[in-house]
Amino acid sequence: MRADTDPLLPALHSASEELARSGVRFEVFARLGEHAHLVLDQDGGLERRESHELGVACRVSASGRAGFAAAAGGGARAGRQAALAAFDAMLPSPDPLPPREVLGTSGSALAHPPTEPAQQEAFAHALASALQDASSGVTLVQVRLLGGTSSAALATGEGFLARAAAGGAVVELLLAPPAGPWRHLHFAAPALADLEPEALARRAIEAALLATRGGAPDRQLADVLLAPAVAAPLLVALAQHLARETKDDGALAHARVSRSWNLVDERPGPAGLLPLPWDGEGLPARRIVLVAGGHLRERLATWERAQRTGEQPGGAVRPSYRHPPLPGPANLVVFSETALPQPDLLALLESGFYLALPAGAVRVDLASGRFALRAAAVAVRHGKPAATHPLVDLRGSFRRLLGALAATGGDAESFSLASAVTTPSLLFRRLEIA
Amino acid sequence: MERDDGSGLSELAAAVVRTRAARLVDVFLERRAEVCWRLEEGRVGSREGLLREGAAVRRDSTLVSGDGLDRPVLARLLGITTRALPQFSGPAFPDPPRLEEVLPSPPAGWASVHWSWRWAAVLADRRAVVLVRPDLAEVTHADGHRALTAWPPSPDTEPDGTAPEQHANARVGKARVLLAPAAAAVLLHELIGHPLEGDLLLRGASPWTGMQGERLMRLPLSVSDDPTRTELPGAFSDDDEGEPARPRVLLSDGVLVGALADRESAAALGVPTGNARRASVHARPRPRMSNLVARAADPLPHPPRHEAAIEVATLTSGTLEPASGSILLHVRTAFALRRGERHRTLAPFTLVGSLAAVCSGLLAAAEPTLPAAEPGWCAKDGEIVPTGAVAPWLLLSGLEVR
Repeated sequence: MRADTDPLLPALHSASEELARSGVRFEVFARLGEHAHLVLDQDGGLERRESHELGVACRVSASGRAGFAAAAGGGARAGRQAALAAFDAMLPSPDPLPPREVLGTSGSALAHPPTEPAQQEAFAHALASALQDASSGVTLVQVRLLGGTSSAALATGEGFLARAAAGGAVVELLLAPPAGPWRHLHFAAPALADLEPEALARRAIEAALLATRGGAPDRQLADVLLAPAVAAPLLVALAQHLARETKDDGALAHARVSRSWNLVDERPGPAGLLPLPWDGEGLPARRIVLVAGGHLRERLATWERAQRTGEQPGGAVRPSYRHPPLPGPANLVVFSETALPQPDLLALLESGFYLALPAGAVRVDLASGRFALRAAAVAVRHGKPAATHPLVDLRGSFRRLLGALAATGGDAESFSLASAVTTPSLLFRRLEIA
Repeated sequence: MERDDGSGLSELAAAVVRTRAARLVDVFLERRAEVCWRLEEGRVGSREGLLREGAAVRRDSTLVSGDGLDRPVLARLLGITTRALPQFSGPAFPDPPRLEEVLPSPPAGWASVHWSWRWAAVLADRRAVVLVRPDLAEVTHADGHRALTAWPPSPDTEPDGTAPEQHANARVGKARVLLAPAAAAVLLHELIGHPLEGDLLLRGASPWTGMQGERLMRLPLSVSDDPTRTELPGAFSDDDEGEPARPRVLLSDGVLVGALADRESAAALGVPTGNARRASVHARPRPRMSNLVARAADPLPHPPRHEAAIEVATLTSGTLEPASGSILLHVRTAFALRRGERHRTLAPFTLVGSLAAVCSGLLAAAEPTLPAAEPGWCAKDGEIVPTGAVAPWLLLSGLEVR
């Protein structure tokens, strides 16, 4: 690798030089994200945005003190700024840096090449055209496409150097059905070429028309079947909650856990949308089983927390160069022991609610471990649709959610949210609906 | 050039014009310094520093942006050689404040304190306009609730002084509620602020499209967006397209009279510009709120607790759903009232109502009118900008506890 052709190396080298002179233990992380966004409005207006997000972060540790800082840019100046700011940030703290002998890479697939702007524009127009089915009554408000690649490098003062690359494509649709709230749909894939405009349009129209009229149901405990699009953000929130050190820890440790769960952070792949070769601290990516066999299994942990709690490290993520490594999910996958087809899931549901499409983000109260989300829903009675509800609230505690999973489908889909997540439909017993 | 500080930005603006970059709209430069202190039981456990800088070039409908702020980065974004640009500099990153000097004893319920300093400049039409914005203080409470103020942070960011713990459930159904200023600020942000953003008005995503001049409510409430209130976190000297900041009246004694616009939506709507904001160099400027300031013409002298069943102190968030015509307020801290006194604390719940019910259900406003640390960071399509608020207490019927 040559510094004059690799955009990550000048900052990586200058930070490493600055830190090495002082004799501290250190880690330097540089990341480049190149993204192309395209927005196509209902009136044909097109907006394009191309961003080049590049920066470097340093962690340092010496004499019972540690610090973290980051700086934007890819030049030598950015590397020096990050190094000096990391020294300034040093406070009394245990050494957070993993030793050289635990670092490594698991190897993973190369990222797809980025989509060319012309391809992106052609895809957007093809999707818009496929959505203009006048008979459906659904109006396209906006198509949003995001394609991107990222490359990262991590070096330590003890001679470890690792590289990683990733990429993906996201398609978002804002649709106005003939009645009821506008609908937001999300599709993700390793590359735009993996998505087919006409198939997406068919699915989007069907979802947007599912629950356009009706009021809110009475507040009740009910069985609920969550479509993958509704289950995905809830799973990310659950995994993030399980990774936190909270007052809820004790309650979760004694929670009843359904044997239907098999929730895994599938970091090395090949399952899932976003495999990577190492975690946010340079530990080789490994499969981390979070919930399975009727028990909470591992908790995602950084090296520092693992030393403190006796947990296994390797669960760190870095959302960008701006953040220090944090414990959190990277590539969540729900594996189905018995992947039931949709009719069988509906038959198991018998009476309850089918939540088809999310309407807004999951809200989480960290103190109580409770969540709430809104979705479009269909009430099911005796296995048949009985009423539609454009917006229902699903509420509960993560503790209850862990015990309530009854079955999983065979219709897994992938989503690119705060982490990558791949999940089928999930059937839960007795959650609160309002 | 306005507010030139010898940085070379005037020469840079002139050089950008000379490059004859086709269809160039503007160039945006930004520098930010941030420090986050993570707290453990009222003491600093760790400190994180972040230095950010970058540039964005807007041409017609395309925005290209990059991290780093120097001639090579800017030349790449403009598609020219580095030699075509003069030397320039933004101000140096300032030394961060020392938290222990500003706040010797952070409250035990705080999880972190975040300081940020921001400098930006817009280059357009041979002009360079430097944007002045206040330093920000963000406090994150142990339950994840965030409060945003101009720096320094105040120990009073928790309006009722206590974080929520185990409480009774609110009774489901219609209720007359009393919103404290922090909660009233979120309601007005969703009810008045967002729906009057020019892009939403143009997209038909606002319930107030085509309703200028119409009375929304009987309550003589006036609401302005005021970026000149420099003590509030949404303040700026010029917006992110370089237009001077001016207060904008949105609601006058209950009547809709204004809108928030960037240049593009201002032209389409026939309203003044000056409300364009960018979440970062990587985001396009859009019409956004700054500081939403609400005043009632004839407020009650004290909060009318004896007329309400529930007092809402803080919300976690609010949502306006224009297509369904409903508004949702997610309550974080609230109290059941009995004979005008706080009877017991309530577990988090949601208040839901139709827009018509909320507007007609606004019964009274009361003093004190206060600055609020909520909603603070305002997200729109995933783009987040700091906002401030000043609001009175509001007595409201027509909402349903869910």
